[in-house]
Amino acid sequence: MFTMPQKKGVKSSLKSASGKEGTLKGKDDNSIKSKKGRKVQFDTGAGEAHLNFSSKSGGKGDTPTTFPKAGGGQAGKGDKTFSSGKSSVPKTPQPLELRIENGLCQLPTIYVELPENVKCLMACEAVDILQVIQEQMVLLSKDPTIKASLAFDRGLQYAKRGSHYTNPQSVRKVLETLTKYGVTDGEMCIIADVCPETADEVFALVPSLKAKLTLLVWEMRIWTVPVVKTCMDDSHLHPFEICTTFSCHLSCAAGTEGAM
Amino acid sequence: MFFHIVLERNMQLHPRHFGRSLRENIVSKLMKDVEGTCSGRHGFVVAITGIENIGKGLIRDGTGFVTFPVKYQCVVFRPFKGEILEAVVTMVNKLIPDDMEFQSGDMPNYTTSDGSVKIQKDSEVRLKIIGTRVDATEIFCIGTIKDDFLGVINDPAAA
Repeated sequence: MFTMPQKKGVKSSLKSASGKEGTLKGKDDNSIKSKKGRKVQFDTGAGEAHLNFSSKSGGKGDTPTTFPKAGGGQAGKGDKTFSSGKSSVPKTPQPLELRIENGLCQLPTIYVELPENVKCLMACEAVDILQVIQEQMVLLSKDPTIKASLAFDRGLQYAKRGSHYTNPQSVRKVLETLTKYGVTDGEMCIIADVCPETADEVFALVPSLKAKLTLLVWEMRIWTVPVVKTCMDDSHLHPFEICTTFSCHLSCAAGTEGAM
Repeated sequence: MFFHIVLERNMQLHPRHFGRSLRENIVSKLMKDVEGTCSGRHGFVVAITGIENIGKGLIRDGTGFVTFPVKYQCVVFRPFKGEILEAVVTMVNKLIPDDMEFQSGDMPNYTTSDGSVKIQKDSEVRLKIIGTRVDATEIFCIGTIKDDFLGVINDPAAA
């Protein structure tokens, strides 16, 4: 069936996640393992899917030149390779950055299949929309033919459970600052729904950001310099980490503010 | 993930629904027909949020039915590969991960060797979807918790 990227010493507890160094080390381990013939094809297929996502989603920050190599990749193709289980590690040696890029998650598969008029929703936004409909349903409940479907009830319940913020507008506003660095709508929503505490967490859960890290680092440096100077006095941190941490920090602040 | 999406559907309406409340009839039939359905392409249709446009009706040959093309906005939910989801455990079976041990009994659960992590019914788990399969009415997913920052996020036993 499915092969998973193996990782050493990873505990399945959220709180016990390894530190920054540990995580980075883990990735290095992975790339080394892959040379030894570990099954990594699963991730590679994902990378292709991602490319389609970038071009289809039409995110403002998406640069068409970002991934010219595999622009014609099909999500289905990735799936096929994945399910076949015969993972052939690319023979040509690639720089580490490219490996990371290949290790993108499968997040974008859906966007390949969905039409363009789609807007990703954070859980908190979904709650807002569904609650309005629920209120309308209460008004209409005199009509016995109109009943909330099971999918509606469960959808609302799930959205409520996954919603970490009370003010979706402010969360979106904060996270939209990342769009100019190529962070797509879908990634933004995942970041919001995951409600990360650290930059490491963001990179681990949304690996597609890593590709952007390498490709947009120069642009980000320009932006993050004032942030570094004003907000964080830690030269060890990578600019993108600072950027993300900064945004996470802001998003948490927005959530708290909304809750008040 | 939830999506807000515009979809289109041809609604067939019996002539008895025509008249002043034609629009309402189309909308309520649309809600009945569409809400709660599931398709591999769009996922579960959770709720219709608005009607964009109802086109001109076309009378079907031989019957009195009229087909109206309806464009509507709706909220859909579709899980996809690579997505990070927070989920609640509803059932614990014996598909044992490497580093955990299955404990049978009244409350079957998984426990790590050092006992620090326990997964049982009603535990909340953050997982990553690694595969999906779409049925006519359901979507099945396989997820993993074997990665950084994944795993139990709320343990009912500890609470």
